Amino acid sequence: MKSKNLLRIVPLFFAVVPSSEICAQQSSQPVKAVQIIGLPAVKENEKGTLAVENGNLHFVHGRGTSDISTSSIQEVVTGADSQKAVGKTVGTISMAAPYGGGRFLSLFRKKIDTLTVEYRDTDGALHGVIFTLPPGSAETMRQELIAHGAHATVVIEHTAQASGSLRKEKNQ
Amino acid sequence: MRNLRYITAFLSLSGVLFACVVLHAGNERPAGFTTRSIQVATIQSDDEISVPAEFRVALYEHLVHQLEKQGFEHVYRDGDRNSTNAPNLVVLQSTVRRFKPGSERARQVTTVAGETSVTVHCQFTDQAGHTLLEQDVNGKVRFFGGNLRATYDFAKKASRIANQKFITDGK
Repeated sequence: MKSKNLLRIVPLFFAVVPSSEICAQQSSQPVKAVQIIGLPAVKENEKGTLAVENGNLHFVHGRGTSDISTSSIQEVVTGADSQKAVGKTVGTISMAAPYGGGRFLSLFRKKIDTLTVEYRDTDGALHGVIFTLPPGSAETMRQELIAHGAHATVVIEHTAQASGSLRKEKNQ
Repeated sequence: MRNLRYITAFLSLSGVLFACVVLHAGNERPAGFTTRSIQVATIQSDDEISVPAEFRVALYEHLVHQLEKQGFEHVYRDGDRNSTNAPNLVVLQSTVRRFKPGSERARQVTTVAGETSVTVHCQFTDQAGHTLLEQDVNGKVRFFGGNLRATYDFAKKASRIANQKFITDGK
């Protein structure tokens, strides 16, 4: 009887431990991101990966890495926006397409999340950084930053294309 | 004799006119106020206007970058402790007065609709808080580019004004 119970419990234990490990890994997994503006010595619209590691917001891009200490973060705000599905050069060239083909292509857009971070450097100077992330990942990143010591106010923000209304409730 | 009277009257009138012009020019901006140090304060907005966080941050960051491009040697950010010892420091306080979010999709599809525009009241003060210059500056994107491009347009215009008043005109 005892051995039967043991047989039931042991697999359960092994099933629970890895799943909790997977959750922990998911929370700190790097996410593809585009730095729109704000990081020192990083070009605008630089692509890279964003993760929260060792108490830092860690952005890895083609030319190196940038870190922002989570304790220096004063505000983290998420938002939703959209961008052209066919962008850059092809999007520009398509504007010359006959019969409004370019305009038709403009109707296709993909959703993106925005993550806006305000922090102060060692001299107390205020910096602001804007990232765009895949949809659904900005809020996870925000929660992670708060868990690692970033300050934030509760913000319920509507899409940037909407009326631009922003409801803000002080939390901390 | 009569000619001499005319000449004297003409000269005195010219003198008065010249003095008026000089005084008027002196009122437009503080005489000889030049600086290459400027501090950018955080972007505020009027109570009834809600500006998305990314717009506020983009306004601030573009402003800092554009002021650096316009020839200011020291552009201090809000709260920078190094700014306390800067001589002739000008502080730029910006308040968003009007904001129209617009739509990039509407711009691309219709060309005429969906304009994004932002109007910011810029106040340049000295360290004591005396106003040196006040002006509303507009930033907009009408045809190409994302909504945030309006913040770049504003920053370019505002930094040009700052350059003209505190670097070029002061020379």
